[in-house]
Amino acid sequence: MPDPLDLMQGTLDMLILKAVSLGPLHGYGVLLRIQQISGEQLAIQQGSLYPALFRLEHQGHIASEWGESENKRKAKFYRLTAAGRKQLRTETTKWNRMAELIAGILNTTSEEL
Amino acid sequence: MTLLAKIRSYTRSLASRAKVEDDMEAELRSHIDLRAADLERTGLTSVEAHRRACIEFGTINTHKHNMRRSLGLRLFDEFQADLRFAARMLRRSPGFTTIAIASLALGIGANTIIFTLAKGVLLDRLAVPRPSELRLLSTVNGNHSPIANSWGTSEPAPGGGFSTSSFTYPVYQAMRAQNLKSPVLEDLFAFKDLGTDTLTTTMDGHAGVATGELVSGNYFQQLGVVPQLGRAIQPSDDTTGASAVAVISDGMWSRSFGRSSSVLGKVIQLNFIPVTIIGVAPAGFSGAASVQVMPDVFLPFSTQPRIAPWTMTETKPDGSLLTSKDIWWMLIMGRTRPGVSDDAARAALEVSLSQAVRSTVAVDKDMQMPRLVLSAGSRGLNEAKDSYSRPIYVLGALTGLVLLLACANLANLLLARAAARQREMSVRLALGATRSRVLRQVLTESLLLSSLGGVAGLVLGYFGRDIIPHLLSTSWSTVAVNTHFDVRIFAFTAAVAIGTGFLFGLIPAWQATRTNVSTALKDSATSTTRRSKGLLGKGLVAFQIALSSLLVVSAGLFTLTLLHLASSKLGFNPKNLLLFSIQAPAARYPAPQDVALHQRLEERLGRVPGVQAVSLTVQPLLAGGMSSRHFDPTDQPKRAGDTASAYYNNVSRNFFQTYGIPILYGRAFNTADTAHSPLVGIINQTLAKRDYPHSNPIGKTFCPGGSHDIYQIVGVAADAKYSDLRNQPPPTFYTLYDQEKEEPQMVYAIQTAQTPVAILPNLRAAIGEVDKDLPLRHIRTQIEQIDATMRQERLFATLTSAFGVLALILAAIGIYGIMAYTVARRTSEIGVRMALGAQPRQVRVMVLRESGAMAIVGVAAGIGTSIALARLVRSMLFGLTPTDPATLTGTACLLFAMAVLAAYGPARRASRIDPIQALRHE
Repeated sequence: MPDPLDLMQGTLDMLILKAVSLGPLHGYGVLLRIQQISGEQLAIQQGSLYPALFRLEHQGHIASEWGESENKRKAKFYRLTAAGRKQLRTETTKWNRMAELIAGILNTTSEEL
Repeated sequence: MTLLAKIRSYTRSLASRAKVEDDMEAELRSHIDLRAADLERTGLTSVEAHRRACIEFGTINTHKHNMRRSLGLRLFDEFQADLRFAARMLRRSPGFTTIAIASLALGIGANTIIFTLAKGVLLDRLAVPRPSELRLLSTVNGNHSPIANSWGTSEPAPGGGFSTSSFTYPVYQAMRAQNLKSPVLEDLFAFKDLGTDTLTTTMDGHAGVATGELVSGNYFQQLGVVPQLGRAIQPSDDTTGASAVAVISDGMWSRSFGRSSSVLGKVIQLNFIPVTIIGVAPAGFSGAASVQVMPDVFLPFSTQPRIAPWTMTETKPDGSLLTSKDIWWMLIMGRTRPGVSDDAARAALEVSLSQAVRSTVAVDKDMQMPRLVLSAGSRGLNEAKDSYSRPIYVLGALTGLVLLLACANLANLLLARAAARQREMSVRLALGATRSRVLRQVLTESLLLSSLGGVAGLVLGYFGRDIIPHLLSTSWSTVAVNTHFDVRIFAFTAAVAIGTGFLFGLIPAWQATRTNVSTALKDSATSTTRRSKGLLGKGLVAFQIALSSLLVVSAGLFTLTLLHLASSKLGFNPKNLLLFSIQAPAARYPAPQDVALHQRLEERLGRVPGVQAVSLTVQPLLAGGMSSRHFDPTDQPKRAGDTASAYYNNVSRNFFQTYGIPILYGRAFNTADTAHSPLVGIINQTLAKRDYPHSNPIGKTFCPGGSHDIYQIVGVAADAKYSDLRNQPPPTFYTLYDQEKEEPQMVYAIQTAQTPVAILPNLRAAIGEVDKDLPLRHIRTQIEQIDATMRQERLFATLTSAFGVLALILAAIGIYGIMAYTVARRTSEIGVRMALGAQPRQVRVMVLRESGAMAIVGVAAGIGTSIALARLVRSMLFGLTPTDPATLTGTACLLFAMAVLAAYGPARRASRIDPIQALRHE
């Protein structure tokens, strides 16, 4: 398995939204789920997770409430809001477009110039 | 959408901050626990798992710090920290803090007081709905206008002639009828503020005095004022034969009736005429004439002939001004009509005015019709504005300068303190603070200081808000200015406080961020030979000196004005004269019995022991009041286009003798002149020169305006100042009151060597013998009366002198501070110089020269500015030009001397520096 890639700047918010869109999670759960759905290929900086979560909540894209975690302890669960869903859609479209563009540029061979 | 969510989240975090912090802690702990649980499952012990989880996670505090930043709380937290730090710094140096807050409080408080005054005089509007719709009608007249007799105010108009807002009742009725036919304003309504012609009131047997305003029937309805009790005056009350009714003011309702509702229907006597009270005006309604002064009663015009009758011609037994076609006295206002522009309304009204004048007044062929002017009526007649607006602007500018000076002083002090904090600043910068963060912190300190100063200044302003009206009032005439504290004043003070905080805080803040981190952190913070100019501090001091010289020049100008006024030639002798006025109510003394009453009083008062002479006048001298009438020399050829009116005064026989006015030709009035002898008059020199330049006026005849009687001139008197000290004596003529048909109110002048307190009981007893119901009004001495005309100048001289002294002290402190600091900073340099052979005297001269250079620059700038700005106060000065050389040179010398004196201490200390100590100092 190739080395886990480091997350590119600015994409953490998008990934959190996606992770949470699949069901309410607490902070640790978000971390695990992102690792899981990336097939263990992505490593998230511990220090940037909670600031990102708080930032998204401040902007109104996710909402939080206290609940019970698996080990019967109190934990704060985050879920996606309607605004967050919209944001996720927008960001996904933008990302795909950007990826297409860049891939197109990088694939240019000398004959196509 | 995001913004809304952010604001919601922000307010929630601020409101329940403790809970947010607890939640953060709990959430991070639970994360670590979950991770530890997972690690345990892979086989680690619980202690080891927990340890590993903590290490992986990193410091909780770093997480929390970044989480707080996401929530947007960082700014708030930093601001709170800055405030706490600033408060601690201020607490640690109580001396500096006290001086700073005190000087700020004085500056801001003075500005608040002036603003309160300005707001009352310049900004406040009438307490009626939509005051901006109101228009006041006034006329501009040339020298030959149909207005022969007026009762009211008139001012000289720019470009010659005069302007007045008075109209005759028939003209008003004609114009109103015309407006109703083809309306350009909603309706015309009229009023007349009786002012100092107070009404004698009798309520439940008690006699008193009240002020009144006569109003037309549609006045209340047009103004939109609804009484708080009872009903308003209606058109049906303003018809001939209607019973006398009145609406009283809220103030009178409180004072005289205890706010009881039984006042409705009560009958009181005004000038001995019974009047029924039908309503109470709302609180704060001050009539249409003025925003400041509230009349006690509102009466319909129909009551005028009975309550306030007036006769100036011999054929008017009913005293009615309503039918008089020649007396211009009432004011007219109207609300604008939607769809009609001001110009269109003005033009139409001017035409209607000309028609009305032609149909009511006998118009000569060379008379010019008055031009009509429509001005904003939202402030009533706004008489206060004309006399007070320029002085208020000047006072406002001066207090602003004082505040600026205090700010410059504070900036200098803070700069000196900042120099001592260089090490702290460099540590902050080295630890990673951005320069903007350091700037924010230093600014917060300044803002805290200025906010505290602002609060103290507001308190000062609140308690001192009546100082200036109080200083301008006298015991017999109060200046009424509304000094009510409201939101606008708070807002002004807050803005000034924040503004000054930025003003004096910006310079030290900017200076603090310019710290060179590496040099500051070294042990020896200064190098011996580096000669930094320190221009910023010196520039500030030069600025302070410039401001001080401005304030000292203004103090000099206004004080000299006062001195010149006080010593100006009066033309008469004011000493030992006690004045009071007596009014004979028409109900008890219809004309000509009021003249007889005054004659009886004159004779009886003359017999009181201690009284040397009794003299009567209609107009007291130098009281700001005037009467003028057309002066028509009957046996001279008519002079076209000349001002045909002169000031006049109705006096008693011994007037000239009592006041010490010499008669130059002919004779004064004497006992030969009685009601049955030929009518005589005396003119003054100026009038003689104007109308009889080449002939002897003695024996010539004239006819005063408004009457057909022929008077013969029997004497020419020397010129005496008439209504104020500033103007030259105007052309004046005098007539004898004994020869008048009626004269209700006269001013008595008692010449006595005794003090007023000693002689007043005897005077009151003597008057009581003639009529026990006659009160003495407005008791004062002639000298007090003259001093009262100078009260504005005296106020200015006092205030500007105080400002000047304050400015000198502040500038001296500034110079002393900066020179002491410079010397301290350059100790090693001076030590080197002395070690190399400089004499103490040379070192002293070096320091003094620096201070002298600052003084020269500052004084030059200040004197230059004062020369440029002095033109603006030319109208307030007397006896000297705005660029009076004596004042300017005096100021320059004074400030230069002050600069040298203030710098002398540090200079001496510099010359006493021991070179060995100095060189070891670093």
